[in-house]
Amino acid sequence: MTIRNALRDHGQRYRPRMACLKKVEKVLLEMQDPCTGVKSQPQRLVITIIPHAITGEDIIAWLADRFQIDAQEARSFGSMLVALGYIYPLQDHKRLVIKPDASLYRFQTPYFWPTQQWPVEDTDYAIYLAKRNIRKKGILELHEQEQYNHLHKWMNHKWDFVVMQAKEQYRAAKERKKPDRVVFDCQERAYWVVHRPPPGTVSAMDYGLDRRTDPNTDEVTGESPHDLLVKYSATYSGHDPFLSKCLPSSPWLTDDTTYWTMNMSNVEIPTKMRVERWTFSFKELLSDPRGRDDFRLFLKKEFSGENLAFWEGCEDLKWGTAVTMREKAEQIYKTFLARGAPRWINIDGKTMEITVKGLKHPHRYVLDAAQTHIYMLMKKDSYGRYLKSPVFKETLKKAICPEEHKFKNRRPSLSPIIIRQQEQEQRAKMAANAPVDITQVMSKLSKQGKEMGPRHSK
Amino acid sequence: MGKEECKTMLDALNKVTACYRHLVIALGSTSDSQNLREELKKTRKKAQELAVANRTKLTTLLKDKTISKDDRAEYERLWVLFSSSMELLEVDMKRSLEIGQDFPLKVPTRHLIQTGMTGSTNAVAARAMSVQNMKYEADSNIDTADLRDLQTEITQVSQMMEEMEMKVQVAPWAVVAKQEAGAELKSNMSVGNSSVGVISICEEEPKDDEGGGGREGGSGSIGAVVVFFVIVAVALVLGYLVVNM
Repeated sequence: MTIRNALRDHGQRYRPRMACLKKVEKVLLEMQDPCTGVKSQPQRLVITIIPHAITGEDIIAWLADRFQIDAQEARSFGSMLVALGYIYPLQDHKRLVIKPDASLYRFQTPYFWPTQQWPVEDTDYAIYLAKRNIRKKGILELHEQEQYNHLHKWMNHKWDFVVMQAKEQYRAAKERKKPDRVVFDCQERAYWVVHRPPPGTVSAMDYGLDRRTDPNTDEVTGESPHDLLVKYSATYSGHDPFLSKCLPSSPWLTDDTTYWTMNMSNVEIPTKMRVERWTFSFKELLSDPRGRDDFRLFLKKEFSGENLAFWEGCEDLKWGTAVTMREKAEQIYKTFLARGAPRWINIDGKTMEITVKGLKHPHRYVLDAAQTHIYMLMKKDSYGRYLKSPVFKETLKKAICPEEHKFKNRRPSLSPIIIRQQEQEQRAKMAANAPVDITQVMSKLSKQGKEMGPRHSK
Repeated sequence: MGKEECKTMLDALNKVTACYRHLVIALGSTSDSQNLREELKKTRKKAQELAVANRTKLTTLLKDKTISKDDRAEYERLWVLFSSSMELLEVDMKRSLEIGQDFPLKVPTRHLIQTGMTGSTNAVAARAMSVQNMKYEADSNIDTADLRDLQTEITQVSQMMEEMEMKVQVAPWAVVAKQEAGAELKSNMSVGNSSVGVISICEEEPKDDEGGGGREGGSGSIGAVVVFFVIVAVALVLGYLVVNM
């Protein structure tokens, strides 16, 4: 599919649990084979004969044979095909299940398949309801009537179009021969039963929320997100303090905050684990302030520090307050982008042109193109050299690997059960020994006070 | 009068869009053929010509600042009609590209989906092109050759729509439709016996709401049976008389 629907698709519709649709389509194509596919028979209506009707039991038998599964599983697979809308029942069209008897089904035309790229439009539904209204002379089913009124209300600005289009489509449909007309009506009705199910039915199209990206592939590297997740988990599992032991100890367990003090952003000597994380990706290096410092040192030695400085300036612009944006943008332009600037960065002509044009009316993301260019430059070029440089090797050598907490200096705290037992014993002792009469206690105390009094006043 | 001209052109575009949709629905099914692909191509080209003509007319009308408020509201309504038609057309073109690529006609291992539709669509295409009969003159590999043209045309249409949105400042949601709910029923089209027959065939479950349709069909058949018996009775009487004579 070369042209994607992304151009006017402002909703970024990617449906997470519908990755099975492509696989179902392959199965469906296999079913069409005249030799090895499902056997079809003609359907006899009053005077017309319509070909390509298939029985439920034939479908189930074919599925059981093809996938070597038992009848029960074939039946649920078949029901899934019907629920998704690839096959529709000719009798009892509202119940989207496969019946393992001689009840008839038919394949749906590819236009009405529930493909991932094409969202189901309300405009089309409105046109369908209007057509149905014409055919049934105003008597729609209850839920259809409600939907019709609802659409008429919120889609009112398009209603003229809906009516015109419905009439034209109705007239165009009449141009076909009778059997084809019947088939078309059944197809369209089946499509809308799947995508606008009558109330009280469960829809197979209920897939939860839409995603921002295509769940089948990663757009940049072409790997599936499953593989990426596995890779990420494998790389980071040793560094995750929940999954593996963290050195010296997890502060939540031992009340010892050494782990936090050792990993602060401005620490002189980083830990070995931290330095190892810098080698995972460039993003990891830049997001760690200590790593960024190290990288900055390396770039200073290479006399290409302006790249990192520009990148940091762009970040500052993106995350800063709106009041300071204009002057920040100007400052960046003067320092990095203008001709003869003190820290001139090397970006290609086209990006420079876009950036300079954008800087006339600066906004938060005006430097995005240039920032991305510099980021990729640093990532592809400087990052590799940094990892092989003496600066990095020095840091790696000096990095400390703290010892595991030995629990030596930790005061053993008593378990609360023992503490409560001790309290109870003490209370029992007090109850047994001391006088209960409070007046005696008070007189005792006041006597003591009187004795203490003269001594204090001296 | 600019308005009338606009309306007729929009009606034509609407008709072609509806016919194009019918043709695209037949793609990939057993009524798919080289002829269908050629019909799609011709309908598409006609749609594009109409689209360009409509667009130029409407943009000139809307850019005119001297028109009255009512006129402007009317032109905005026509504009919404036009852009909705174009959206439908664009989606159908993209889908026809996708389905056309998935179902090439010449590959013997790629089977077409057995949807039950076997008839040809030339009447629909003839309606779109406003001719009596369609003439087929394309080569036999139109299914693959046309796809490249289709891609360029899709990009053209998308560009045109983007330009349209930029140039003309019309708020589509502010347009008030002239037709009220149920307006499609008030047309002067004949919903005759043939379509009623279609309904009773399509709904095959016993407890459907086609009571009206069923009744009409039933009375038709009862009438036929009555006529038959009358004829038989007349024949018997005549025969009796002949025998007795």
